[in-house]
Amino acid sequence: MSIIEVNSVSKKYKLSTQKGPVSLREGFTNIFKKETKEEFWAVNKVSFNLEKGDKLGIIGNNGAGKSTLLKILSKITHPTSGTIRVQGKVASLLEVGTGFHPELTGRENIFLNGAILGMSKKEIASQFDEIVDFAGGQITKFLDTPVKRYSSGMYVRLGFAISAHLNPDILIVDEVLAVGDADFQKKSLGKMREVASQEKTILFVSHNLTAVANLCNKALHLEKGAVKEFGETGTVLTNYLSGLQNNILSKEFTIDTALGNDLVRLKLANLKPNLFDNQVFWDIRNSFSINIEFWNLIDNQNLNISLHLYASTGECIFNVATEPTILQKGIIQSNITIPGDLLNDGNYFISFMIVKDKSIILFNFEEVFNFEIADFREDTTWYGKWPGYVRPKFNFSIFQQTESI
Amino acid sequence: MLEIILKLKEVYLERELLIILSKRDISVRYKQTLLGLVWAVIKPMATMLVFLFAFKQVAKVNSFSGFPIQLIIFSGILFWNYFANSFQAICNSILINGNLVSKVYFPRLIICISSIAVPLLDFFVGLIVYFILSLSLHYPISNFVLLLPLALFITTIFSIGIGLIFVSFSVKYRDIQQITPLIVQYGFFITPIVYTTQEFLAKKWFPYYNIVNPLSSFVEFFRFTLIDNYHLFNLQNLFISLITSFIIFLIGLVIFSKREDSFVDFL
Repeated sequence: MSIIEVNSVSKKYKLSTQKGPVSLREGFTNIFKKETKEEFWAVNKVSFNLEKGDKLGIIGNNGAGKSTLLKILSKITHPTSGTIRVQGKVASLLEVGTGFHPELTGRENIFLNGAILGMSKKEIASQFDEIVDFAGGQITKFLDTPVKRYSSGMYVRLGFAISAHLNPDILIVDEVLAVGDADFQKKSLGKMREVASQEKTILFVSHNLTAVANLCNKALHLEKGAVKEFGETGTVLTNYLSGLQNNILSKEFTIDTALGNDLVRLKLANLKPNLFDNQVFWDIRNSFSINIEFWNLIDNQNLNISLHLYASTGECIFNVATEPTILQKGIIQSNITIPGDLLNDGNYFISFMIVKDKSIILFNFEEVFNFEIADFREDTTWYGKWPGYVRPKFNFSIFQQTESI
Repeated sequence: MLEIILKLKEVYLERELLIILSKRDISVRYKQTLLGLVWAVIKPMATMLVFLFAFKQVAKVNSFSGFPIQLIIFSGILFWNYFANSFQAICNSILINGNLVSKVYFPRLIICISSIAVPLLDFFVGLIVYFILSLSLHYPISNFVLLLPLALFITTIFSIGIGLIFVSFSVKYRDIQQITPLIVQYGFFITPIVYTTQEFLAKKWFPYYNIVNPLSSFVEFFRFTLIDNYHLFNLQNLFISLITSFIIFLIGLVIFSKREDSFVDFL
């Protein structure tokens, strides 16, 4: 007996020049004028069943229809076609602190928010102290202060504390847990784990694949609104990630089309991660090799290559350079291997330039490679984003020195 | 029909939420303003004083059909403010609570109905003022005051009905927000608020007028429950208006339940 049955659910939006509210005048003229509206299926024939106690992770790129699907499942919006059958009490957390009113005090907002999320007054009253406690000691002093005076951290903590004490059969959670500081994320994911260990059914949308891998037993991969894959988390995640990464990044040119100028021209640029056996996607453990070939068009040039690796935010993580070398006309090759356990997970891009006489830039090849490195963790209870651009493995020791104090 | 009963049942099951949202509106209203409840007194009083000035000083009218002009005007304004405020509150309710509508599911009707809490509270405050005014003029209060809750109920049904019709379109067509103040402004003058139906009684069109504007017989019924010996109340007209407003209420519910699913797409 399934607790959730989703049967060929679709949601269509009409894309027209006027999206959202329209004026009455337009409304009237539209009745007479047949406007050809572009249709857009945000969710397209999605079907799946969940058993009691299943934890489903919903993954997919931005715009894949994840949030729309959650909205349909939590009855906020209706599907254009298809049916949903849900057994039991559903609570959805699409945002922390939904319905908080800035003018009301923390205490009043606990009751208000609880009621909006479907708790009875009795339930809230009996859990009031726990909620305040969970939100942190600081809140106690501000219980009778309007929440507009709260710091954003306090606001989010209080909102989450209420949500964490909901007691539904089915919990629907959006990216909400990705907000707040690292400390808060730790706490909220810890709570999710606690809930996950109970016989609750959870539907969880996240970009945090580590969290999905560790919390969920099933995963649904959406692509352009349709189900790409539904099944065991491990399989779905592996296929998702390998599809996501386009790791052998290479560019090759003939001398006429090549990037460059009359002095140097790029022939080939190739980047390849060195995967382990049976590994399908590139994670932080893997080293990667770059091979560059270029045409040197002038004799006796003293050249070196300077390579810059940037984070997606544009900050330069490092710059490495070859030794300057006197080179003759012809094809020049250059190789580098960047070790594993150096870069953190994330998106990076690489640019390199050919420099003459240590100071004159002959040509700058910008954003030659653009790639993503996945996270890898074993035996973890923490799924927050690992901070930093680099994630080296150092010899960092801890041991019992003596047993007396 | 079954659908409507289900809708109303859903609201009943979630009455705790209805109460807490009403409480929210009331406490927010009185936290944001310095004078709080006093405004519920000042507003109808000020409106009455303006009309007293116009009638007594300019038009030289001192009584309507033998009743103190103050009581006629104040009771009318009290009635009208309740209708107009709840109608407008319902019309704006979905837009004001847009963040809730797009983030959580609960019967949308609850948002609309809870928004009449503030007008209702204002009404009761105004009612106390009316009693004081009536006593200070040494004019007795009608024995039919026991029917006041009924008058209030009928008015509420009508405001909800017409409010639901407008709110159903207010999310997609934002012009509605501009239209409702006009309806309230003109409605004030075509309804016997600062006058009575005395002059209409003999007119042929009077029964039809009650169909088109049920508020007319509601306000006279309302006065009947407050002013002693108020003879302008006519049971037949009330009955006609009652049917109109009940139909409006049903239409409001039907339109609302047809359109509520689309709200979230336009917010």
